[in-house]
Amino acid sequence: MKTAVYFCNCGSNISEKINPEIVENTVKMNNPGIVFKSYGFLCSEEGKEFLKKDIEDSGVNALVISACSPRDHEKTFMNVLTSAGLNPYMMQMINVREQVAWVTEDKDRAAEKAINYINAAISRVNLQEPLENKEIDVSPNAVVVGAGPAGLKTALSLAEAGRKVTIVEKSPFIGGLPVRYEEIFPNMECGPCMLEPIMGDALHGNSSENIEFLTLSEIDGVVGSYGNFTVKIKRSPRYVDIEKCIGCAECIEPCPVSSGNPFNCGINKRKAVDFSFVGALPNVPYINAEDCIRLNNKFKNGDVLCRSCIDACPVGEDVFKFDEKEEILERNVGSIILATGSDLYDCAKIPSLGYGKISDVYNSMEFERILASNGPTEGKIKTSGGKEPRSFAIVHCVGSLDENHKEYCSGICCEYAFKFNHIIRNKIPSATIYHLYKEMVIPGKENAGLYKHAAEDSNTYFIRINDINGITVKEEGDKKFFYIDGAEKISVDAVILCPASVPGKDTGKLAGILETSLDKNGFFEELHSRTDAGRSKIKGIYVAGSCHSPMDIKEAMSEGIGATGYVLSGLVQGKKLSIDPITAVVDSEKCSGCKVCISVCPYKAISFNEEKEISIINELLCQGCGTCAAACPSAVIKANGFTNEEIFAEIHAILA
Amino acid sequence: MQNSFFIKKKENSNADAFNSGTKKSCETVSFEPKIIGFLCNWCSYAGADKAGTAQKPYPPNVSVIRVMCSGRIDPQFILDAFQKGADGVMVLACHPGDCHYKEGNYRAVQRYRLLLKLLKQFGIEAERCRFDYVSAGEGDRFVSVINETVKAVKKLGPLKR
Repeated sequence: MKTAVYFCNCGSNISEKINPEIVENTVKMNNPGIVFKSYGFLCSEEGKEFLKKDIEDSGVNALVISACSPRDHEKTFMNVLTSAGLNPYMMQMINVREQVAWVTEDKDRAAEKAINYINAAISRVNLQEPLENKEIDVSPNAVVVGAGPAGLKTALSLAEAGRKVTIVEKSPFIGGLPVRYEEIFPNMECGPCMLEPIMGDALHGNSSENIEFLTLSEIDGVVGSYGNFTVKIKRSPRYVDIEKCIGCAECIEPCPVSSGNPFNCGINKRKAVDFSFVGALPNVPYINAEDCIRLNNKFKNGDVLCRSCIDACPVGEDVFKFDEKEEILERNVGSIILATGSDLYDCAKIPSLGYGKISDVYNSMEFERILASNGPTEGKIKTSGGKEPRSFAIVHCVGSLDENHKEYCSGICCEYAFKFNHIIRNKIPSATIYHLYKEMVIPGKENAGLYKHAAEDSNTYFIRINDINGITVKEEGDKKFFYIDGAEKISVDAVILCPASVPGKDTGKLAGILETSLDKNGFFEELHSRTDAGRSKIKGIYVAGSCHSPMDIKEAMSEGIGATGYVLSGLVQGKKLSIDPITAVVDSEKCSGCKVCISVCPYKAISFNEEKEISIINELLCQGCGTCAAACPSAVIKANGFTNEEIFAEIHAILA
Repeated sequence: MQNSFFIKKKENSNADAFNSGTKKSCETVSFEPKIIGFLCNWCSYAGADKAGTAQKPYPPNVSVIRVMCSGRIDPQFILDAFQKGADGVMVLACHPGDCHYKEGNYRAVQRYRLLLKLLKQFGIEAERCRFDYVSAGEGDRFVSVINETVKAVKKLGPLKR
């Protein structure tokens, strides 16, 4: 091995403190046969040209570059090595500027330290081996889980960029939570109308052929890794042919059975064959298998199978597919985007608020549906007694900012609470409205407007409360009474609870299938909560929208675009994926199969080969931290670029 | 390889290499300790760079070995450094929750705590082996950690082998 030391003077930044000649003489004396050259600015265009030519002319095959921090220019010099025909990993850079010249007062001791570092780098670089980037074929396509704002935006943006996308949605319709809202803060648009252009484009737009919608479907299993996932999708039967049905709704009226409509929080009934709501997309009803008497082989009249819906259908008998079975579909994709959304904290966990026990105590989703013109009351606000309520209590911070419930503030509840205020005031001008809140949070440039309306309204009252648990709601006759800390008593007709946003109920199950981690609140955990909040801890699985943190629609949409960016920049169509060689490698001959490495890997990059009884590292998932190499009791995991031998050599040379 | 390395070390310790104790009263002015500092690439090494760009002087006794993550630091690196002549060893990691590799710093601190028990048996004072957290922005903190460690090891005197 012919090794050379290139000493950058960095103008005078280094040479002013450390005399290159002294360094050269000592290094040459300590390392006979070494090539040593100093240069003014090695990172300048001239410097790089000098380095390239010198490597080519002198025939060196390992380099020590004594210059600035490798965090600045390691990549620069690696590129020079490549252009000179050398493997870029046959180099060790030492940080004589930031960590010696600029911080050492005594010139002799600075030179001594620089020499020491150079000697250590020489002994290390002589052990280094060429490392090669590997390239693998990948799929540019994606599976998006969830068809709410974040999922739709991701799918549409990816489709517009020419990627094939499969949207997996567990409910029978698309649009997520906002299609339930009659109006949305801060500008009081109608929720379904706001989503309509996006849903329309996704279903029938220029790029819609790139999007496959799978409703009533969920993720059943995933194998593979970044670039090459095989996703198993379980699709439950709709029993109505999505291609043939024209959405005329003729079948609904004749259907003889009905049960609570989950879309309206069970407030009203739906037929066994029905839409979730008027205007649901795709515009095709679905049959609830639990209720349908034909599917359950129950006979309506004598022994004749029920065919009410079939007889009513103007298209024909084959629209209904009663023999449809659950299906398992497989899609091969490079990326998976999780956009499964959020849910509301269960208000019954604060029993004093009376939710679920006292009539006319609603959570915010139930109240949204009451306000909706396509909801159970067609937008009319009425108490359970059928009267129009004259007074309302809107309770903010239910289960939020509370260490016994959820420690965080969801950041959206105050905003929709003032939206409720606005809508109630329009519908019932004389109503008295009380806001009970712990903290008022109304961030954003557009969001103060609704708060201002409420604050300026003479019949709206604000009551700040230390502890929401100190509120007790009691029913006396048809009146509800509020007791605050057992003392103050306020009478109201209806109570609206605004609970903390929590992860959707299947988040944990999905995390188990995907092996992604959850944070302490059960949301999907981000790779980094600030710099990489759109990535899960598994490479190639991204998170968008309120499945990883409470957020509003605007943020969820932006996150959809963010997830699109990760997919487009990570897996470029027609390009192979390059794998950085700074990874760990198990020596398969020597591995004892103790599995210690598997338990310490933060990326789940190590799996166990049951047949050979050894650990195997997936170099695609490995990020090169080397924790497994430090943990391996047999020392048979090699951390490329930072092997035991290289580090021991460095230690020994420094202490020589 | 690692097993044989460990056995070799045991033999050395029997041959009075590790358990010889040190002169605590030795505070000679001329003593300049050799200290090895293992720094993770993302936080503490960047913190050291930060001290450099701010040109904050500190004693040159600490020689830095860069690793990608503090989780890469095998306790045997530390034992080897002590055996081969280091008077002190430092392990600097990202602050809890900030690890670039999520949890490598937790592994590092777990291993460090176990190692301290072993060092005690070898007669190496805990003050000679420092674990601390330095973020990429904490140039000043890096300098003060270096100053404190150099001072502490100087006070203990050379590690006798």
